[in-house]
Amino acid sequence: MVFKKSVQKFSGKINEVVIGTGEKAIKLGGENAMPFYDFDGNLGERPKVGMEILDIFPDNWIEPLKEMYKDVADDTAKWAQFVEENFNPDFICLRFEGADPNGLDKSVEECADIAKEVAESIELPLVIAGTNNHEKDAKLFEKIAETLDGYNVLLLSAVEENYKSVGAAGGLAYNHKVGAESSVDINLAKQLNILLTQLGVKPEDMVMNVGCAAVGYGFEYVASTMDRIRLAACGQNDKTLQLPIITPVSFETWTVKESIASENEMPEWGNQEDRGIAMEVSTASSVLASGANAVILRHPTSVETINMFIKELLS
Amino acid sequence: MEKFMIIGERIHCISPTIRKALAERNPEPILKRAKEQIEAGADYLDLNIGPAEKDGEEIMTWAVELLQKEFDNIPLALDTVNKKAIEAGIKVYNRAKGKPIINSADAGDRIEMIDLAAANDAMVIALCSKQGIPRDNDERMAYCTELLERAMTLGLEPTDVLFDPLFLVIKGMQDKQTEVLEAISMMKEMGLKTTGGLSNVSNGAPKEIRPVLDSAVVAMAMQSGLTSAIVNPCDTRLMETIKACDIVKGSVLYADSFLDL
Amino acid sequence: MSLTGLDIFKLTPKKNCKDCGFPTCLAFSMKVATGAVEIEKCPHMSDEAVSKLADATAPPMKTITIGKGENEYKLGGETVLFRHEKTFVNRNRFALLLSDSMTDEEIESKITSIKKVNYVRIGEEMRVEIVALKYEKSREKYLDLIRKIKESNLNIVYMLICEDVEVLKDALELVKNEKPIVYGATKENYEEMVDLVKGDELPLGIKANNLEELYSLVADIHKLDYKELILDAGSSSIKEAFDNTVQIRRIALKEEDRTFGYPSIVFANELSKGNKFMEIALTSLFILKYGSIIVLGDIDYTRALPLFALRQNIFTDPQRPMRVEPKVYPINNADENSPVLVTVDFALTYFIVSGEVERSKVPVKLAIPDAGGYSVLTAWAAGKLSGSSIAKFIKESGLDENHNCKKLIIPGKVAVLKGDIEDNLPGWEVIVGTDEAMHLPKFLKELQQEATAV
Repeated sequence: MVFKKSVQKFSGKINEVVIGTGEKAIKLGGENAMPFYDFDGNLGERPKVGMEILDIFPDNWIEPLKEMYKDVADDTAKWAQFVEENFNPDFICLRFEGADPNGLDKSVEECADIAKEVAESIELPLVIAGTNNHEKDAKLFEKIAETLDGYNVLLLSAVEENYKSVGAAGGLAYNHKVGAESSVDINLAKQLNILLTQLGVKPEDMVMNVGCAAVGYGFEYVASTMDRIRLAACGQNDKTLQLPIITPVSFETWTVKESIASENEMPEWGNQEDRGIAMEVSTASSVLASGANAVILRHPTSVETINMFIKELLS
Repeated sequence: MEKFMIIGERIHCISPTIRKALAERNPEPILKRAKEQIEAGADYLDLNIGPAEKDGEEIMTWAVELLQKEFDNIPLALDTVNKKAIEAGIKVYNRAKGKPIINSADAGDRIEMIDLAAANDAMVIALCSKQGIPRDNDERMAYCTELLERAMTLGLEPTDVLFDPLFLVIKGMQDKQTEVLEAISMMKEMGLKTTGGLSNVSNGAPKEIRPVLDSAVVAMAMQSGLTSAIVNPCDTRLMETIKACDIVKGSVLYADSFLDL
Repeated sequence: MSLTGLDIFKLTPKKNCKDCGFPTCLAFSMKVATGAVEIEKCPHMSDEAVSKLADATAPPMKTITIGKGENEYKLGGETVLFRHEKTFVNRNRFALLLSDSMTDEEIESKITSIKKVNYVRIGEEMRVEIVALKYEKSREKYLDLIRKIKESNLNIVYMLICEDVEVLKDALELVKNEKPIVYGATKENYEEMVDLVKGDELPLGIKANNLEELYSLVADIHKLDYKELILDAGSSSIKEAFDNTVQIRRIALKEEDRTFGYPSIVFANELSKGNKFMEIALTSLFILKYGSIIVLGDIDYTRALPLFALRQNIFTDPQRPMRVEPKVYPINNADENSPVLVTVDFALTYFIVSGEVERSKVPVKLAIPDAGGYSVLTAWAAGKLSGSSIAKFIKESGLDENHNCKKLIIPGKVAVLKGDIEDNLPGWEVIVGTDEAMHLPKFLKELQQEATAV
């Protein structure tokens, strides 16, 4: 036997999707191989790392982050600028926690104003995340798509219950990108892509959020769902699944016990901030290794670490 | 597992329209049928120009270029007994979407089509017959083995040969149907790829019955291991059956709208 | 995994000489594939072909045993590249690096860390399983280090990282009976190394400058008839380590080349150059992508919480979902005056529900009956979560007698069980909860307010 590298050529390729405008616009996708397998094919665009901010003061975030953002977090636009200047992520994810009907229930007009201010004060591409309330999100995204016309933002996300409104507003009436969200259900992920395409949204205007979980919380389902989607997209050349994947890691990892238990509650666990970063970093590197083209993170140290991780694996 | 491969059969010189269009080099009827088949889900198009003893090279070159230019290098099965015409077709063939398939070799007079495939890095459909229909599966498998040996000796990968067990007409040869399915199973066991002219099975049956028969046979044949077929992709019932079988076999991921794709 | 007739045919001379008694080479090959005929019937087969055929019946990746007694673990033995194809078999094991150039304090502190980070998560022990002991400067100090570990009473497997055969001989005198891993065979010393480990069949770690050299080194060691190996994927760069780890596994499983059919070792500590969060990122990567032993620089809860949990997830058999132990779990300091919330023992459901209850800060007793490890609706449909099974569990768990707050919250998806449970549990008020766990905090807070108002 002689040594021979194992090479697997795939016929399918992930679509390229552009978010944002101008010099700071980002492109996702383009690969025809499994994540970081450059011995098999082309890896396409570098995976992108974005940072999460909120439309309200982050009362539920850990103390060190509140401390860091205390002078800017009351004004979302300032907060966005602060993040752009200090951490320079690939994009900013503005999450409308304040619009949640179970919370402050801010009006969509108020939210759209905030979105507009943020878009005007930064150059980075913008990802808009909703409340997880499908009815409210439908209205919220419709309004924001209109207000932010021309900014080419990503609306996160359209789900089975509201894809018609979100898809029509983001992908048809105005020129934005639409995220198709399913929660760790590969058949639904595919179905939603088909439905959005049948609605008339172009594949190059769509990305997928196929769901996420923090490591330890059923992450095996996330890993296998992503493996199967990528194998179907590239290996079986299933065009309906050839969309870049964006994964809001921070939405999951900062609500689990490992990240929210204080040092008083769990003295043997040690520094709470470090634990939160560790959960975020571990989950982010794992989804990137499973096929995510972009991740949304919260802590600057996580952003720094994951950027280095990506750079090393692509070097 | 790989998805079932559909070879569209409707560009065939047996159709008067196509025969006339080929003779007059009239693109329109050919393109129309190609478009219908591609939209219906054909992976490959069969291009049958008949024996074309006189101007085969010219017709094949013209038709290959016509179809590939119009339909983004759609892969083709070049279907004629005229070897020169096939060579000429391969010369202008673009492989971006898949190798050309030579249709077809057999274990008799046309065994040299295997050599032609090997010399041109093409795929080839190999009919498991010599003269007429094989008597039984022993004979069928003997031809299969003979064709395979020749192909491999000449350096073809076994997966570049699509073995055709010869589907037989139900009306008249009903008792031979399970034997064909068994032959497919044997070929699958050997790791071989298979294909066949499926519509043969329903020949002579009333028009409204044919799709049902074809669908039933394709489903059973796919379970036995059939990996492709030469069919009419515009037969909705048949295509839906194939899509559903692909789902059941796990070759395609399920989604509620899978039939729309 | 066995070769097909066509694979065998490719190995034959393809001359159809009939010396084997069959009319053609292909016919002969087909018979060999079914096991009906021995390959030796063909007098023209090459040695390589014959050995390839013999290999084909062995598993593509060897299972290597490390450690002894309660510290015995299996590595390797994998059959698929992706867990959904079947399952991953043997989880990776974590090692912690110690060396003779560390100060006594450093060594003590790491031993303490290993002892401290030791807990159970969903029925599985979470701790470092291997000490990687690196020889750097002094033979005496190295032997001292090994003695120190022995005296510390750690439940652990030894990995001796040392390329000096003489030093290793002394070191092995101390831990030979523990089935340690001997790491450090190179193309320079492999013959002596194999001599050293062969008698006790100790797992031998081997390394080379690159994948190609590693391949020929394994082939050389195979010639000495030694097959208890662990392969170093290299640590000159993160990219190299990743590429090599994937290649080793793929060449073994996909190309079925048993030269690389062994577990691998990755030094995440070296690759991350002292950056703890990078070490966590890389270790996560290698848990997913084929590291069998992952070496860490240190252990603390910051590392352990994500990494052990990720490993537990990834090595769960897709056909057998994780289950939590059926019992009553008090959350947020719940006592006998807290409401009882019932859900199933499917680990994912338990984690999501308990997480939301924690978030609500409302004290609740979470009652987990044996529901077969299914999710709520599946368990209900399968008859594993019924009015009588819930009532039975409440009685057997002692909640019926020793609990003051007789409020039982059931999942919204099985609202139909309300009447059944009430019939079986006189005195209890059955409350239908939310359909989705994410709405629990709001629901629980309102319930708490109502209770206070009354």
